[in-house]
Order: sequence, then structure tokens, then C-alpha cells
Amino acid sequence: MRTQANPRLMLMILSAVFAFLYIPISVLVGLSFNEGGLPTAWTGFSTKWYGELARNSDVMGAAFNTLIVALVSTVLATILGTLLAIGVEIRRRKGRFIETIIFAPMIIPDIVLAIALLSFFSLLDVTLGLHTVILSHVVFNLAFVCSVVRARLKTFDWSVVEASADLGASTPVTLWRIVLPVMLPAIIAGALLAFTLSVDEFIIAFFTAGAGRDSITLPMQIFAMIRFGVTPEINALATIVMAVSVIALALSQRLNRGGLPGQ
Amino acid sequence: MTDRKPLYLMSPALAWLTAFMVVPCLLILALAFFRRGIYGGIEYTFTLENIALVFDPLYAGVFLKSAGIAGLSALIAVIVGYASAYAIAAAPARRQPVLLFFAVLPFWSNYLVRTYAWIVLLNREGLIASMAHWLGYDGELPKLLYTESAVVVGLVYNYLPFVILACYAPLSRLNPEIAEASRDLGGSGWTTFRRVTLPMTFPGVATGFVFVFVLSIGNFVTPALLGGGQFQMIGNLVYAQFLTANDWPFGAALSMFLIAIMMGLLTLQTFATERASGTRPEAT
Amino acid sequence: MTLLSLRNIQKHFGAVRAVDGIDLDIRENEFFALLGASGSGKTTLLRMLAGFEAPTGGEILLDGQEISGVPPNKRPVNLMFQSYALFPHMSVAQNIAYGLEMERLPRAEIKTRVDEILEVIQLGDLAKRKPDQLSGGQRQRVALARALVKRPRLLLLDEPLGALDKKLRGEMQLELKRIQDEFGITFIIVTHDQEEALVMADRIAILRDGKLLQCGTPHEIYEHPESRFAADFIGVMNFLPVEQRDGKLLTASGDVITAADALDTGQRGVAAVRPERLHLGDAQGENRLTGKVSALAYHGLDLQLHLMSPAAPDPVMVRLTAGEAETRRLAIGEEVTVSWAAKDTRIFAV
Repeated sequence: MRTQANPRLMLMILSAVFAFLYIPISVLVGLSFNEGGLPTAWTGFSTKWYGELARNSDVMGAAFNTLIVALVSTVLATILGTLLAIGVEIRRRKGRFIETIIFAPMIIPDIVLAIALLSFFSLLDVTLGLHTVILSHVVFNLAFVCSVVRARLKTFDWSVVEASADLGASTPVTLWRIVLPVMLPAIIAGALLAFTLSVDEFIIAFFTAGAGRDSITLPMQIFAMIRFGVTPEINALATIVMAVSVIALALSQRLNRGGLPGQ
Repeated sequence: MTDRKPLYLMSPALAWLTAFMVVPCLLILALAFFRRGIYGGIEYTFTLENIALVFDPLYAGVFLKSAGIAGLSALIAVIVGYASAYAIAAAPARRQPVLLFFAVLPFWSNYLVRTYAWIVLLNREGLIASMAHWLGYDGELPKLLYTESAVVVGLVYNYLPFVILACYAPLSRLNPEIAEASRDLGGSGWTTFRRVTLPMTFPGVATGFVFVFVLSIGNFVTPALLGGGQFQMIGNLVYAQFLTANDWPFGAALSMFLIAIMMGLLTLQTFATERASGTRPEAT
Repeated sequence: MTLLSLRNIQKHFGAVRAVDGIDLDIRENEFFALLGASGSGKTTLLRMLAGFEAPTGGEILLDGQEISGVPPNKRPVNLMFQSYALFPHMSVAQNIAYGLEMERLPRAEIKTRVDEILEVIQLGDLAKRKPDQLSGGQRQRVALARALVKRPRLLLLDEPLGALDKKLRGEMQLELKRIQDEFGITFIIVTHDQEEALVMADRIAILRDGKLLQCGTPHEIYEHPESRFAADFIGVMNFLPVEQRDGKLLTASGDVITAADALDTGQRGVAAVRPERLHLGDAQGENRLTGKVSALAYHGLDLQLHLMSPAAPDPVMVRLTAGEAETRRLAIGEEVTVSWAAKDTRIFAV
């Protein structure tokens, strides 16, 4: 958009907003490397709080649980979401019902989905644990994978599919040999996005993980720690969690030049 | 390809969504109409008591407070978000994707971490207090953390990137000649913005507002962490029914109420959008 | 009476000189065309007149007043945008009323004037429609009405017919002329279509690389182009390479060309002549040329003839009236001599 906008005013707005967005996070990252660990004084660069973290068995256990949840739910969601995306895009008729069902997981408030799943699992007498967290995470993860893959499919040249069929390939062979390779970057981008969502997800995990100590995920552990107040250890943990998200997201973005979902 | 093959591809995911989203959501819809058991649990007899309880004056205070905080957060987020999106859309075309990427990046990092960052800034021994002290201010600082303002700041901070994204989309699609036409016809910069640019980009503003409002009113993390549990949002109320008070039917009724608010606002927004964009055929 | 004067107008974008020193005077009630290919600077010039670009140098005088520093919303100048730029959220009537509301006119007067102009553009029954419910031609009329209703001193039209199909374009050319006549407002139209400029404009300015090449009536420009570019750009023109030798202009085939202009001795150039100035036979003027018929095409009333001649690298085009074609039947491969008058011959140096 070319506008008559005053460039100086625009620059001021952007500077203010980026300062607002990034100062809090930057302070957090900075403090995690402060030897003394307190905001009152900089006592030197140190990675000792990261060391402390590694010796904290609660944190390490929770991190391990989160890794399991994120990996398993990402794999499931990627398979289901990709098939769904291809199915929706090659279907001639666009069903409003299907569109709504695919879109819903992205807009339902987390807390509603969380209590709905909790009620559902307890009605069926399912023991809560990491497995129920995984089942739940797949719900929104597959919707996000689907939306990323669909965005790419919109620019996909379907005549190559017809060419493949013309040359004698069956539908599964065409999917495997033609569609999948072309779509791979978008699929991996969707998977990375699902992975970060799952690593960061708190509310649904909080409700569906049950009360046992052995099914605590990292965000649940962070929530518990934050309630006790600010510690240098949390700063370090928060920095690591953010770094994981940013790296996965940057990779996703690189693979999928289409931009962030919703963009 | 026939229409049947896509169904094979779609069915595993659709089955998953049905089992773990549609059915659970229908379940709490039903739950809202059952009686609460004497020792918690659920008694399967039909009642409208839970729905009635939602509108009980007892909870009017919580609702008003929630709606006030959510409304204020959504308003601030929309104003700041629109201004930022406008500034991004006015930047040179090749810089826009980068600016947008960095504006949205925080949205994809952990919600708890982003909220925690404000505890670090605002707490009594936090950065702002330290700065004030360092600058030579020795008096008693006003309480920053565990206030309503802290909750509003936290909500705006967390949802701002979403609003920027929602407002940027229609702003970037705007044909610059349309704003120029308004200038050419005698409209000042402000008139052009008020009568042309804003109405044409209103769908983004409305989407941003609805989502920030609904996500805020249903939030329980930010009030718990930045508000210190001093006041409740509807989200906290739902949380309490399921995890402490053990009144699941009432909790279910509350969450249905939340969904109803969201649906209502979205319908309103769709209506407003259609009016704004002129896609609705006028009677001629 | 002069309405608009441009004095050495310059517009530079970095190192690019989009408009490079243009002087022009445009009269009251004139239908003026700025004609040029893309990149000639015509649109930039128009945007400076509307106030969306500030000149790097020079003066723009409207009624003798310098207006370079006046913002677009304060100028008695309106622009009809190439994309039409209709407000999508407003109805036809609201679009048209917008500019009048900006003048803070009373409601009743706005209504009267909107109704009036809707009558003129014959869209009275579509007043409540939104732009996306109109056809291309209807949108074009609304855009015109929206600018015209303000009764500007000067109406600028940026490729106003570009988005219309060919048949509609022909109708709208006449319609625009009629409306300009009726309102008595000065129109400046930007176009890359020379035919459009010839049909509609009272005067045409040909722009090239940000410079003014020639300015005149369609007749002057067509009959007396001042440069090879102008000659080539407007209408169809035959170019015969010539060289000045021994006080004569000689073609590649050794024929002598008689013309009012001349070249320096030894200089190379071209002799230019319009297809309709060539006539069959060798007694229709001072100049003649012989060639083989390579193509024949009937265009309703006239016959177009392509001659391959040693005098020119490209086929020479001849336009014969139906009457002329009747007198002698022509066949492909036949050898034909054509002749033309010295006064219809223009000489340009290469």
C-alpha cells in the first residue's frame, strides 16, 4: 500500500510496538545469563543457571514428557492433516460442514476444548496421562498442518496428477511419487509448526494429563514454578523454550515460503 | 478423480476430529443440562438450573468485571494493532514481510513465558522497580504486579500480534488509488481514513476485537499469574468448577455461555463485514 | 485563454528523470491528450497535476496561480483513476456524493447535483447499487461522474478507456466528447492509444522519455510530424531510406525523391509518406516507386496493398480507395508503379 502516511510517524509507531513486543522477552533472556540472577545488578555473564536446570530432575522429567507428547502428536497430526488437506483440495464439492470442522480447532477457546476432553475421557473412564494429552494435541495440530499444506496445494498444478494418471500410475502411486515429493517442504513446515504448538501448549495438557507427577509436561512445570515467583532458573528455562519455538518456526518459515499460517 | 477417493483421504482426520472434538463438545453441551450430584459427579436428570445459575446476579459481578477487562484489552489491542499494521503496510513493499514476521514471531512462543516476562518486569524486585531505584527514586512505588492493569497489559501483549496480522491483511490488499481518489475529491487525510480506509478494512478490526475479547474473557492463566488471583474471569470460574468446586454441569454451562458470546460476536462481525464490503445485494 | 501552464516541469526518482523539462500551455475548454508509450512520463505528469507527486523542479500554473504546493484535496482539479478507484463500500450515489460532501454543500444541493449527473451518465436506476454489482462500462461512467460532479476547472483522465472492450471503447470515445462539450470543462487525457488521441483530442502532446516531442492538433501531428518517432507513432507511415548526394535525395534503388526538406550532403535519412498519399500510376506526383504486389487486403471501403520494392527493406503500404481499386484489378506478384506528391513527403535524418 502506497500511502500519504507520514514516514516519521510510521517509524515512531513501529519502533514503539517492536520495543513493546521485544523488551520484555529480551530482559528475560538477558537475566538468564546474569551470574547473580537478579535484575538489580549485572554481576557477569554465566551459564550456571542452565547448569542448575540440567540438575533439576523435575524439569528434566517434564521436558522428556513434553518431547514424547510433541513428537508422537506431531507424527500423527502430520499424517492425518496432510491426507485431509489433499482430500479437501481434490474434492470437487466444497462442503461447508467439513470446512467448519477443520477450522473449529483453531478458534475454539482452549479452555472449552480442555474441559470438553476432560469430561469425555472421564465419562469413558479413560485413565488420564500422557496418552490422553497426545490424543488431545492431535486435534489442533492436525488442523494447523492441514491449513499449511492446503495453502501450498492451492498453487499446486494438478495437471501433473493427470499426466501421471495418463502415463499409467494408480492414485496411490501418483500420491506417493508425484504429490508427496512436491508437497514435502510444506508438510515438514506444517509438522514443525505442530511441534512448537505442542511443546508450548499448556491449558489442554493441564486438564487432560491427570494428577500424576509422571505425566507433567514442561509448560505445566513452568506454570507451577512461576507461581512461586521469579527465579533465575525459570529465566533460563523460559529462554530455552523460546529458543526451541523460534528455531522451529524459522525453519518452518524457510521451508514454506508462504509465510505463517493465517498470513 | 471421483468424489469418493477424497473421502478415503479425509476420513481418518475427520474421524479423529469427530471423536475428540465434536463429540466432547456435544457432551459438555449436554452436561450443561444435567444436575450436579450431591458429592460432585453428575446426576443424569434434565435441568435448566445450570443455565439459570449462569445468569444469577451472584455471578453478574464476575461477568461484568471479565467483560470490562476483556473489552478494555481488546480495545487497546485493536488500536495499537491497527496502527502497527497500518505502519507496516505503509513501509516499502520488500520490507513488509520481514516486519510482519517479527511482529508475529512472539505469538508463536510460549504463552506462559511471555506472561512470565511481565512478572520479571513488574514484580517488587523487578526490573522497573530496580530502574526506579537506580534513577534515585526511593519512595514507595505503586503496586505494579497483581493489579488489573497488569492483567490488561499481559492480555494486550499476548494477543497484539494476532490483531496486527488480522488488520494487516485487508490493509495490504487496499488499492492505493482508492485513498487517492478520496484525496482528489477533497477529503483531508483524516476524512479519507475515517470514511474510506477504515470502513474498507473494518473486517480485520472486528476479527481482531472478537478474538482478543473471547480469548481474554475465557482466560485463566493471565489473571492467575499477573492478577495474583485477586479477581476472576469467566475462565477462572470454569477452571474452578472442574478442578476445585467439582460442579461440572455448571462449568459446562459457563463454557457454553463463552461459546455463545463468541458465536454472537462473530455473527455480528459477519453482518458488519457484509455491510461494509457491499457484497450483500441491495434491493434495487 | 490559457488555463494551465507548465514551465520546465521536472520529476526525478533518484537518477531516473521521469519527466524532464516539459513546457505546455493548455487552454480553457480544451480536450487535450498526453500520448506516449509506458515509461514516457505521461502518468507521472498527470499525477503531478492532481497533486499526488511534487515536481522536482519547474512551475505548474493554474489560472496563473502556482499550485505545486497545494495538496490534492485542495485543488480544483479532479482525476479519474485508471482503476476507477470506486469506494467499494459505498453505493453509486454515495460515491458520487462524496466529493460534494467534502465541500460541505447543503444536503439538498448534493442530492440535486447527484441526480442531475446520474441523468447525464444514464445510471439513474442503478444509484443504489454497489460498485461490484456494475459492469465495466457502468463503473467507468460512475468514476467519470464522481469526478465531474465537482465541476473542476480541470479533469484529468488516466487511460479512461483502457479497461473496456473494443466496441465499448468506441462508444465511450464519443460519449466522453459529448460530455466534455456539455460541461465545458477542460479534459486532459493520458493514453498510449494514438487512435484514441486522434479521435477525441483537440490537441495532442507526444511524450517520449520524459520529454515533449511535439504538440499540436491531430491534423498537424498527422500531416506534419516533426520527428521520425512522431511520424511512426501516429498512424501508419512508410519509410524509405535515402541519402543526400549531388544535391539530390536518392533511394536505395537510385530513384530521386523530391521533397520540401533536404539533408546535408552525404547524410543518410528516411523519406516518409502516408499510405493514403500513394496513388497508382506514374503521374500522380513528383515521386514514384515500382514494386511487386506481395499482399492484398480489403478493409471494407478501401484496399490495402503491400509492395515489395528495392527502394525499401519493408513492404511499402498503399491504401487505395474502393474507386481507385475498381479502375484497375490487381493480382499478387504483379508489378505496379505508384507515385505521390513532393508536398506529402517528409524527410528525417537518421
